[in-house]
Amino acid sequence: MEQNVSGKGLVNWVLLLVLTVAAGALARYAQSATGLAATVFIGMGFLVALVAYVQMRLVERERLERLEFDELRKSATSASLFTTPDAEQFPARRAREQFERYFVPAFALLLLAGQGLGAYFLWRHLGADRPSTVEQATVAMTLYGMLALVYFQVGKYSAVLARLQQQPFLRPQAAYLLLGSLLCVVTAGVEAAGWAGYPQADVIAARVLVIILALVAVENLVTLVLEIYRPRVKEQVVHPLYESRLIGVLSQPGGLIATAAQALDYQFGFKVSQTWFYRFLERAFVWLVLGQLAILLLSTCFVFIEPGEQALLLRWGRPVAGREVLDPGPHLKWPWPVDRVERYPTERVQHFTVGIVEGDEFAAQRVLLWTKPHAKEEFNLIVASGDARAAGAAAPEGEQAVPVNLLTVNMPVQYQIADLRAYAFGHADAGKLLQFLAQREVTRYLVNVDFDEIMGRGRRAASEELRQRIQAQADAHRLGVRVLFVGLHGIHPPIKVAGDFERVLGALQEKEATNHLARAYAAERVPLAQAEAVRKVNEAEAYRARLTSLAAGTAARFTNQVLAYQASPEVYRLRTYLDTVSRSIAPARKYVIVPSNTHEVVTLNLEDRLRRDLLDVTLPASPAPASR
Amino acid sequence: MKRNPVTLATGALVVLIFAAMLFAFQVRQTEVVIVTTLGRYARSIEAPGLYFRWPWPIQNVHRFDNRIRNLEKKYEQTTTADGRIIVIDVFLGWRVKEPRKFLELFGDNLAAAERNLEIQLRTAKNNTVGSHPLADFISVDPQSLRFDQIEAEMLREIRAATANFGVEIVLLGIKQIGLPESITTKVFDRMKAERERLVKQFQGEGERESIRIRSEADLQRERILAEAEGKARQILGEAEARAAAQLKTFEQNPELAVFLLKLDALEQSLKERATLVLDPRTPPFDLLQNAVTAPGRSN
Repeated sequence: MEQNVSGKGLVNWVLLLVLTVAAGALARYAQSATGLAATVFIGMGFLVALVAYVQMRLVERERLERLEFDELRKSATSASLFTTPDAEQFPARRAREQFERYFVPAFALLLLAGQGLGAYFLWRHLGADRPSTVEQATVAMTLYGMLALVYFQVGKYSAVLARLQQQPFLRPQAAYLLLGSLLCVVTAGVEAAGWAGYPQADVIAARVLVIILALVAVENLVTLVLEIYRPRVKEQVVHPLYESRLIGVLSQPGGLIATAAQALDYQFGFKVSQTWFYRFLERAFVWLVLGQLAILLLSTCFVFIEPGEQALLLRWGRPVAGREVLDPGPHLKWPWPVDRVERYPTERVQHFTVGIVEGDEFAAQRVLLWTKPHAKEEFNLIVASGDARAAGAAAPEGEQAVPVNLLTVNMPVQYQIADLRAYAFGHADAGKLLQFLAQREVTRYLVNVDFDEIMGRGRRAASEELRQRIQAQADAHRLGVRVLFVGLHGIHPPIKVAGDFERVLGALQEKEATNHLARAYAAERVPLAQAEAVRKVNEAEAYRARLTSLAAGTAARFTNQVLAYQASPEVYRLRTYLDTVSRSIAPARKYVIVPSNTHEVVTLNLEDRLRRDLLDVTLPASPAPASR
Repeated sequence: MKRNPVTLATGALVVLIFAAMLFAFQVRQTEVVIVTTLGRYARSIEAPGLYFRWPWPIQNVHRFDNRIRNLEKKYEQTTTADGRIIVIDVFLGWRVKEPRKFLELFGDNLAAAERNLEIQLRTAKNNTVGSHPLADFISVDPQSLRFDQIEAEMLREIRAATANFGVEIVLLGIKQIGLPESITTKVFDRMKAERERLVKQFQGEGERESIRIRSEADLQRERILAEAEGKARQILGEAEARAAAQLKTFEQNPELAVFLLKLDALEQSLKERATLVLDPRTPPFDLLQNAVTAPGRSN
């Protein structure tokens, strides 16, 4: 029997080693923080189980040794040699005592350090906030569940064995096996929560586990201290220093009080576990758990649909007649697994983009220019070209110049779920199909539209046209969606030719500028001409006025002059003549040349200045030659 | 022993649950189910609800989604009937129609079915594209565009090819048509040339308009000036006429009038910068001569 127990101990630590490796691998696979914390626990369990096994072996060897010695004493008649058993005659007992005196406390201290450090590093690691994914949740859930089942059975067996045979070293192993099983259940639960849409459960559970690890470390410390003051009772079953009562409680909640009572018994030396309170709690425990389960099941009878949501009610997988779609508000239903509810955000405006999706690194870019890349990948759609037929006819056979244009498109489409039943029951992925259909319609639309039309005036009309076409397609395939909006604002020529498109716009501006300059010229030229015309006419009029008045005045004067003339024609003539001549020739330069019969050459220097002014300092010295 | 009834009840409940899990199964609205007994086909269930079965090794339940599934794989290069290269992407919607046949062909393996469908889809696509010229895909003229017919042809072909797959091809659409990189470059070049043509056109148009406006302005100017000139001349004529009306007055003594006019002209012409070379006989300079000659004469 004893051999069997030690064999059990061997199996236990090997199993714990396997579980450590398996749990670690699963935790890595499922990216589960809780799984990681659980692995640390189980790894600790493996160490404890190993030490417990060694101690178990030592105790067993000691017992064999004692048996051997008893046999020897019985058979040996000469007692003189063996009357005083010496320590050297019991090497196994010595080994066991040495082990318990030195190695076990040292190991307990090491374990304490390990627990403390483990708790610290795990907490730090969680502080880094690792994102938990739920991709492989189902696989992880299944495997954890299986592990939990196997280890629960093994652990339970060991626990019963330890209690029945009063095996103090089997007990910590059993406790850790059961704890491993429990942790597997917890991790599976966390995975299930993540799968159901509560990924934060992982971090919370992991934190709780870390706190428990820290508590176990504290408990370990307290046990070490208490060990010093414990009264040493003879024949008392030893409690190994490395056995944690907290873990005992956790792994066997049914024995919660029992563990507490045992601890009290052990510490104070009298039986507490026989009291009525302990018995009451032990009996009520099952009811408590059952009650909780019942409440859990009952809670699945109520369902609250959030505003903006609708849900499908399925009974045994079949829509419930008359109540297929649940509107926001509270609803009653049969408990799980009879009735199930699938929620859909029917009011929410969902959207996707046809064409290029503006990349994250470009999201910060505040200015979007055609000539600068604003998406990771160019996405060009073919657009028919207005002169496609002409070019196509002209192109020789085999020529690869395709008469089309290319457009970069970024077209947001917004939609809502309109008919939930069609949406959910008709299509595995209605949203994706809508995306395909939308893109098909865009392609279909663009291959049949003139390029310049779509780049210019046709855009708003195209937007509405496309919305209607997509809606028609969605209705034809019974997608159950309402297309709300199709935006064509992100449609522009590809980056490589965008510059040329801008040049065309520049040329248009230039044309306008030339036009304006010409208008400015005209605006200046015509009024000037008008002014000139007015001036001319006015001058003519002025001349006319002057001429008219002058003529009248001259005539009037002449009438009087005639009178004077008639009085003395000769004198009047001379008088007026001299008067005029003397007055008018006064400023002129005059040469009076006396004619003679000789041919004289008279030289006149007409370059001399006529008038005196400041610069004419020299004048012809004398008019002598002239006046001669 | 007091705990016995509770333990028993709990145990019974657990057993019941296990039994339910082993002997019953749900068919959901979105599923069709095939039940096989020892590997042989037993029955297929199309209506949703709760059904019973023998546990696992005896009866197996195969579930198939009866909803329309989307399939879209390759954005693939192919040639049209007139030798043009295009890249085309076709999607289709399919669903399991005859689950029994489907099970025999593909088992529970949806991926295998999709692989097969994809092969058929590619064949249908390439065949159909190869029998149409490019103008059937891309055209400004709605009459010559065969987009919908091409899709219908593909659908017909793939339906024929997958007739014994136990699936129904519900819909098919051309998702995208594109051009390979090298041709894209050429298209870009052509688009650039086209833009260049537009630039030149706009520049020419601008020039034309400018010249028109300028010459019109010039024309208008000339008109205005000529008109003004005419008017001015008319006024001058009038002035002459009015002046001429006074001539009668001078008839009283034409000799004096002529003399006065001469005087006037003389005065006017001597007003500025004149140099006179005079004969001493000109009055009043004749005085000078007389002064010189008088003593001579008296001599």
